[in-house]
Amino acid sequence: MSPEIFNNLIVNKDSKFLVDRSVYSDQKIFDLEIKNIFESTWNYIAHESQVKNPGDYFSTHIGRQPIFLLKKSDGSINAFLNACSHRGSTLVPFESGNSKAFRCRFHGWTFNSDGKCLVIKNEESGAYLDAEIKNKSSLTPVSRLENYRGFIFASLNSDVSELDDWLCGTKSWIDCLVDQSPKGLEIINGQSTYRLYGNWKLQAENGVDGYHVSTVHKVFANTISNREAKLNLNGLKETEAGRITGQVLSGSYGFGNGHMGIWTERSKPTAHPIWDQKERIENSYSKAQAHWMLHRTRNLYLFPNVFIMDNPSTQIRTMRPISPDMCDVTVRCIAPVGEAKEARSARIRKFEDFYLTSGMATSDDLAALEAVHTGSQAKNAKWNHFARGASETLNGFEGEDYPLGDIPPKMTTKNWDHESIYKGFYDTWQKLISKD
Amino acid sequence: MNNFTLDQISEFIYKEAECLDEKSWTQWLDFYIDDCVFWAPAWINESTYTSNPEEELNLLYLKGKQHLVDRIYRIETGDSFASVPMDRTTHLITNIRVNARSNQQISVKSNWLVHSYGMRESQNRGGFYEFQLVSVNDQIKILQKKIILIDDKLVGPIDIFHI
Repeated sequence: MSPEIFNNLIVNKDSKFLVDRSVYSDQKIFDLEIKNIFESTWNYIAHESQVKNPGDYFSTHIGRQPIFLLKKSDGSINAFLNACSHRGSTLVPFESGNSKAFRCRFHGWTFNSDGKCLVIKNEESGAYLDAEIKNKSSLTPVSRLENYRGFIFASLNSDVSELDDWLCGTKSWIDCLVDQSPKGLEIINGQSTYRLYGNWKLQAENGVDGYHVSTVHKVFANTISNREAKLNLNGLKETEAGRITGQVLSGSYGFGNGHMGIWTERSKPTAHPIWDQKERIENSYSKAQAHWMLHRTRNLYLFPNVFIMDNPSTQIRTMRPISPDMCDVTVRCIAPVGEAKEARSARIRKFEDFYLTSGMATSDDLAALEAVHTGSQAKNAKWNHFARGASETLNGFEGEDYPLGDIPPKMTTKNWDHESIYKGFYDTWQKLISKD
Repeated sequence: MNNFTLDQISEFIYKEAECLDEKSWTQWLDFYIDDCVFWAPAWINESTYTSNPEEELNLLYLKGKQHLVDRIYRIETGDSFASVPMDRTTHLITNIRVNARSNQQISVKSNWLVHSYGMRESQNRGGFYEFQLVSVNDQIKILQKKIILIDDKLVGPIDIFHI
């Protein structure tokens, strides 16, 4: 496909911003997304708490390529393609575990935590031409591996930009989560994966779509309001329905590099599990950061494969594209280390209420996204409209009450239901898939 | 709880499932005491599911009857994208066995398979139930229904009647 074809997928002129719905279903586009996006940029892999102890490993994917991450005895972290250097069997059969060495179950070759081949089964009788075969049979490491404050990112492309540059202004939003405990964050036991029968970009758009909240999640707000009235709940047991019905200030950012974020003021900051940390936070951080941590919800999308969310609860949501019309989504609850029992329990209950496909909101999102997927097959109705906010989109921090961090976003809107940020997403997307 | 036979207990468990399949919500709620727990743990890895709801994540942890009412309230508004149109379901429950019995409480295990049909066509999910049953005015009631869903990667929304 020539770049001109990609130019025709997006119309961005004369006050219009239209995206051809074939981007959700075209196999050639998907193959380019895997090659030029997932396997060429930085991907979020795991939180460091998932490989806490020496020998802990965690297996996942970058694009279509299986990888695994491990903690070495010296505390450092390595990541390799999850494929034996001999005949390619996956080395790690479990999603997580603990092991000092990795023995292939196919022919018994064994590797250490540096990926070095320790054992070739029956090497002596192998009649190998190359006496150095063992030394030349190390596992293939990922090309780049970096850790930003506990969040581990990797890339299969050695020429990828520095992670700091890639994350740009999103670091200030990640900091707002990490700083919730002086002891850092941890992933809570238990997770859930759901298969979205739809394109990965539908999930990417949805996590920063403030506009759907007051329709799709109005029923969630009503249900919770009904519960709160019946049980006369207060404090941590409350949920912030006011956010959903749009009664608070809100906004969105295009951070650059395809990253997007939406925020709202909290309608009931006292309901947030972090509220007992108010004094420490106000004393430790700038007025702006303390306000963002205590009084604002944030949904952060890091292009291309992860959401970091701090709403009623705190969530890491990763996406693994399977095919143009299939994407596996895994949700995990992340929480401050050492938080009070009541706060931890409230955080988990709020998470279960909303974020799971067995919950009362993510399930409705899933159904909505699958409806969009089906609707996108109506090829004669070609265009998606992302028009909201066009006349009010600002540059940088202009008009922002609580400027955060030292790297300004590329665009700002003063309402989380504006759609301008998708321009930033599709600009990066188009630039990357148009590469040779 | 010593006076209830396995037949009576089995009948009770089948009828609770019948209410879910027939969407007879008011009748369904009547199977539960006010301080009930409706609990579906989440998987931690290939072989272990969560066991401490105060510190670990669950697919569902509905403590107190109001939380069951919440689920029904949401379904009945007609505003839940996931619930319109609603999947048809049939619960198949088998291998019912008494796990432990005392004067106050009886613990019953069973296996289950739910066949559902809807927007995503046929789906089968299966697992184990562990009921804690009590007697209220000589009627069996549910103190706790714990549902182990062996499926990990979930297809489509999961509501109280899918499992």
